Amino acid sequence: MIVLEWLFLTIAPCDAAEPWQLGSQDAATPIMQGITDLHHDVFFFVILILVFVSWILGRALWHFHYKKNPIPQRIVHGTTIEILRTIFPSIIPMFIAIPSFALLYSMDEVVVDPAITIKAIGHQWYRTYEYSDYNSSDEQSLTFDSYTIPEDDLELGQSRLLEVDNRVVLPAKSHIRFIVTSADVPHSWAVPSLGVKCDAVPGRLNQTSISVQREGVYYGQCSEICGTNHAFMPIVVEAVPRKDYGSRVSNQLIPQTGEA
Amino acid sequence: MAAVETSNVASLSEQYLLKDHEEKSPMTAKPVEETEVKTPSAAPAEEVISKTEETPVVESIKIAPAPEESSEAVTESAEASPPVEASSEESSESTEDETSGDQESAVETPEIKLETAPADFRFPTTNQTRHCFTRYVEYHRCTAAKGEGAPECDKFAKYYRSLCPGEWVDRWNEQRENGTFPGPL
Repeated sequence: MIVLEWLFLTIAPCDAAEPWQLGSQDAATPIMQGITDLHHDVFFFVILILVFVSWILGRALWHFHYKKNPIPQRIVHGTTIEILRTIFPSIIPMFIAIPSFALLYSMDEVVVDPAITIKAIGHQWYRTYEYSDYNSSDEQSLTFDSYTIPEDDLELGQSRLLEVDNRVVLPAKSHIRFIVTSADVPHSWAVPSLGVKCDAVPGRLNQTSISVQREGVYYGQCSEICGTNHAFMPIVVEAVPRKDYGSRVSNQLIPQTGEA
Repeated sequence: MAAVETSNVASLSEQYLLKDHEEKSPMTAKPVEETEVKTPSAAPAEEVISKTEETPVVESIKIAPAPEESSEAVTESAEASPPVEASSEESSESTEDETSGDQESAVETPEIKLETAPADFRFPTTNQTRHCFTRYVEYHRCTAAKGEGAPECDKFAKYYRSLCPGEWVDRWNEQRENGTFPGPL
């Protein structure tokens, strides 16, 4: 029963954290796919080393047991084994480092022509999002605040402390530039499924590029201790098809300017 | 805002609509309206604002040709009736315009072209603070050189609006008015 419950629970949220989750969330961007792959690559070596070291350790304990073999062998050094145990541990980090750096620099890659720019501004303790690509003056802009939904107002199926009132809507399958900053104390804009974790520092604009490969709703949380309500300022990103994004933005712009 | 939102239990799809945003809109939209009404009296600074709205240089949005005609329509309607009524008229007009394909204001086109400030290789790093600032300065240097509302400056306006947080732009505008702006204008 409990197992079934777990299974049911683990199926419910798509791109949010799951109960008893061990691995990373399903990747929605090439970057996140790269992170997951790197993790698996590195884990191959980790397991290899773990098995080898445990084998050596177990073997030593077994063969040099004080009852079985009270006088250990009097070998104090051997050139061959010393060369081997120096060379191999220095080669293994290279195998880890090469894909790691490749990924690191690809994450830093500047996208030449992003399709949209979204500004995520952290506040104590909510987020403000600005879509200003469609502005024609300094006054008007598509700006909204995103607050967490209190526990009492949650509807069935919504995740506790993960749902917000206004989601970030962005087009799938296009390059998006996120400008992350803060208005008061350092915050962080992090969405695991998108492979994004960008600190929001007051007075500084951090840029991060993402390209969401599939439509969906992605959940993230603040990842920089920012005060008492640090746990209550989640991030919800909703990736929609491009045409839906366009109609949605224009729908939100019309009531603003239409009444002007 | 959140308190208002959450007090009445809204379904998820309703929350998607960003209702509070729509409710908020008249307040944010008001200054724009005033500038549009004042255009015939032709104060130079205000003309800039209206021009940036009307000219087809607003690259993100597809705009139908004949901006002059449409601007006339705006001013006429604004003159004909008090501002509040004018707004309703305009909105009805805009729906008509959409059917005829002749948009009076660029932002009201339903078709949104996805376009934003391109990557600038003076700023290839994560830190884009200077990028935003430089674009803002470039815009104001451009208007200083080419005259207010010069169409070649509009792309810089678009860039800095895309990159800078609104709060920063407001503060800088204020500083420029007071003559305390720290940049090389």
